Amino acid sequence: MADFTVSRVTVRRRLIAVFFLTVMITLCLISRLAWIQIVCADELFEQAWEQWNHNILISSIRGSIYDRHGRLLAGSTSAHTVAAIPPQLEDPQAVADALAPVLDMDEQSIFELISIERSAVYIKRKVSPEVSEAVREMNIPGIIFFNEEKRYYPGGNLASQLLGFVGMDQGWAGLEIYYEEEMSGSGSRYLYLADALGRQVPHDFDRYIPPQQGFDLYLAVDETIQHIVEKELDRIMIEAAPKRAMVLAVDPQTGAVLAAAARPDYNPEKYAAYDQESWTLAPITSSFEPGSTFKMVVLAAAIEEGLFNPEERYFCSGHTTVSGSQINCWTVNQGGHGDISFYQSVGASCNPAFVEMGSRLGKDILFQYIEAFGFGQLTGVDYPGESAGIIFNPDLIGPLELATASFGQGISVTPIQQIMAVAAMANGGYLYKPYLVAEMRDRDGEVIFIREPEVIRQVVSKETSLKLVAMMESVIIEGTGQTAAVEGYRVAGKTGTAEKLGSDNTYMTDQFIYSLVGFAPAEDPRIVLYVAVDGVTRGPLFGSYTSAPLFKRIMEDTLNYLQVTPSEVISLSDN
Amino acid sequence: MAMHKEDTRNGYDRVLLLVTLLLLAFGLLMVFSASFVIAAESKGDPYYFLKRQALWIMIGLAGMFCISYFPYNKLKRLSVIILLLNFVFLGMIYSGFGSDLGVEARRWLVFGPIVVQPAEFSKLALIIFTAAYMSSRNLNFKKLANGSLIPLVLAMIVFFMIQSQPDLSTALIVLVGSLLVIFLAGVPIYQVAGLSLSLLPFLIYFTIKQDYRVQRLLTFFDPWAEPTGSGYQVIQSLYALGPGHIFGSGLGRSQQKLFYLPEPQNDFIFAVIGEELGFVGTVTVLLFYLVFFWRGFQIAMKAPDLFGSLLAAGITFIIAVQVLINVAVVTGSLPVTGINLPLISAGGSSVFFTLLGIGILLNISKHARAV
Repeated sequence: MADFTVSRVTVRRRLIAVFFLTVMITLCLISRLAWIQIVCADELFEQAWEQWNHNILISSIRGSIYDRHGRLLAGSTSAHTVAAIPPQLEDPQAVADALAPVLDMDEQSIFELISIERSAVYIKRKVSPEVSEAVREMNIPGIIFFNEEKRYYPGGNLASQLLGFVGMDQGWAGLEIYYEEEMSGSGSRYLYLADALGRQVPHDFDRYIPPQQGFDLYLAVDETIQHIVEKELDRIMIEAAPKRAMVLAVDPQTGAVLAAAARPDYNPEKYAAYDQESWTLAPITSSFEPGSTFKMVVLAAAIEEGLFNPEERYFCSGHTTVSGSQINCWTVNQGGHGDISFYQSVGASCNPAFVEMGSRLGKDILFQYIEAFGFGQLTGVDYPGESAGIIFNPDLIGPLELATASFGQGISVTPIQQIMAVAAMANGGYLYKPYLVAEMRDRDGEVIFIREPEVIRQVVSKETSLKLVAMMESVIIEGTGQTAAVEGYRVAGKTGTAEKLGSDNTYMTDQFIYSLVGFAPAEDPRIVLYVAVDGVTRGPLFGSYTSAPLFKRIMEDTLNYLQVTPSEVISLSDN
Repeated sequence: MAMHKEDTRNGYDRVLLLVTLLLLAFGLLMVFSASFVIAAESKGDPYYFLKRQALWIMIGLAGMFCISYFPYNKLKRLSVIILLLNFVFLGMIYSGFGSDLGVEARRWLVFGPIVVQPAEFSKLALIIFTAAYMSSRNLNFKKLANGSLIPLVLAMIVFFMIQSQPDLSTALIVLVGSLLVIFLAGVPIYQVAGLSLSLLPFLIYFTIKQDYRVQRLLTFFDPWAEPTGSGYQVIQSLYALGPGHIFGSGLGRSQQKLFYLPEPQNDFIFAVIGEELGFVGTVTVLLFYLVFFWRGFQIAMKAPDLFGSLLAAGITFIIAVQVLINVAVVTGSLPVTGINLPLISAGGSSVFFTLLGIGILLNISKHARAV
């Protein structure tokens, strides 16, 4: 019997083998644990940390935008966002079918959204209260609502390019993007550890990052002046049907932008329906040849340098020749201005006379002034996408470039640069930095930022400034800008007719930008105005029928609105 | 036969008892730590699992104490009765006492407030029977029919009964325990190899019969392929162990027990240990188990007869298999199965019958031969 039973030795040997195997497996598991808990620990911790941490965005209401008198230009209201918690939806297809007509979406796209394996998905954001109420009444389990804010612009299109607009989550254009950080506030988050169901773990780590409330912007812009500007822009768009038109109004004593607009414009609440070109403020973001308005820079340099004698005579034959190229005066077809004084050449906007002035100044001096007036550089205005324009590279300037620059051709400048240069001529020679936002306040109305007008430099002397004002006044009184005169006020200005390069790189004969930059009252300038009308397609092709009346009407209404005391009437002979 | 005489001077194995008590106490602590949030949430009482576990440990310790005074060799004569009792219990699942406790598996017997999982008893019962049978005389291991055939067939029957509940993992443990005892008894290697190979097709069949098992197996190879589905449990387990790092986040400070881990007080309690006590904690627990296995192994080595030796080894190694499988699952080294951590995981039947087994071990240790 005993020989059938196996020996104790075999049992013991197998016991040892099994125990040995147990020990080996245990050691394997310990190394596996070391791998997970030591080698991979950091990586796993990071992933787990992501899973544990939830945060709630406590939306701070975006700051509003007001004009200089506290009139609301852009504000926020609350809007509802319809979202879904996919795991809680019983029948996604039925939900999609039910929601589609109410949300004005198609079933398939809703179904695809709510079939995503995620804890929550947006179905449609920022719907109207009626729509969200309708969805709420359907009482679908797993459909939830968030409160978000929606931007609104009480003025509709008013100042739309200046204000910009807000996309789904942030400002996308204009001041809305330039002051995004200040207006949106930041970091208003509540961080906490959550259990697997997303609920906050009590008594554990949590961190509240206090909301940095968005600030309100108070603009230098005056809503009424803006309104006057836009009303007149709309009128010129009908009367002359130009491709585009633009206006800038600046306070010459501070650099404050009082109004800024361009046509075509857009509605910031329906921005997507408009061409992107209409979103930006062309007087700041676009540059083009200034034409004769630029002659004021040459004149300012000549007066300041003592090279301008108003009595000196000049004979304009209608054209002049520089480095073998013929340069025409705009009077070339009438045989030129003939024998005129340099004083008269300003009012008559005589090209050859200014070519002469430019050549007397020489390229170094002239371009020194061009630069000192701020051309070829950003003005630093608080608006996104400002253009610097293009000025000749000083090393490449020959006599011809000097000559064309002297009457505003061959260079490219922005309206904001021009208006600031003219403001400097008007205010005693001080070039200011233009600005749109004058103040920022927090939610309690506490002023947290106040703009101090910033003088960049004095470009010309007070005396030169006074002479320039007188010369520009003569343009309105007896020169090319007579249709811009405003009854009861001394208005000063300079007209410009810029030619445009065609696709063949030669100047087109039927495409002009009529501009006028000027100010009033001449004795104590309160407002500088720049108007430009580009590509007139209806009515006469003259600045005196387009830009000048536009200037006049805006200036007249603005002076009335500002209750500027009318000027004492002075007779021409006194001057 | 002085060799077989009871050695009362040494008494029972104190180290084994001490390790058992330490693991139980530690387990109780961890069950509370892992479960109080879930218990408060689902049962309205944060102490729910703690109280039940403590009660079962008391009952289990009492049972262990009694059994340790019950001469183990008498179990040999009772082994057939114990096996029959096992079949009765397993059969009762299909009677009015059977319950699925709300999950889709009928595994429990409910007697008023007491819930018992008969499969836990099967583990012990089958080991006792197999050890008794394999140590009986008149066996010729060289012939299958006259050797291990009967315990094998019975083990297969128990396997089928348990896996049809369904509870494949427990069924496998029972089968492995039985095979282990047969192997230790000294049947020729070729028989063991042949038997194992012939059982393989069954195993594969039962694994792929249910979709979720295939899914579990697939996700084992790449848990991140489906992080929200069946890979979830493995990932969550690693998210507990990893952040635990070397020293852990501190007792009671597990984040993963907050509904991220499935059954944090049960099958995945080792992950909670790893998170709260770190690598130091997990290794210490494994070392305690190693001491436990060592003592069990020693008791088997020193047992006065083959029955005692096989019985001690069977009880020890069936616990070892469960520990190793549980830790392997928690560390993502094996596909997810429902094996708990003996002596530590919450679970009344498990701790009760494990303690009964340890009671038998203690009794065998009293009869140890001087080596």
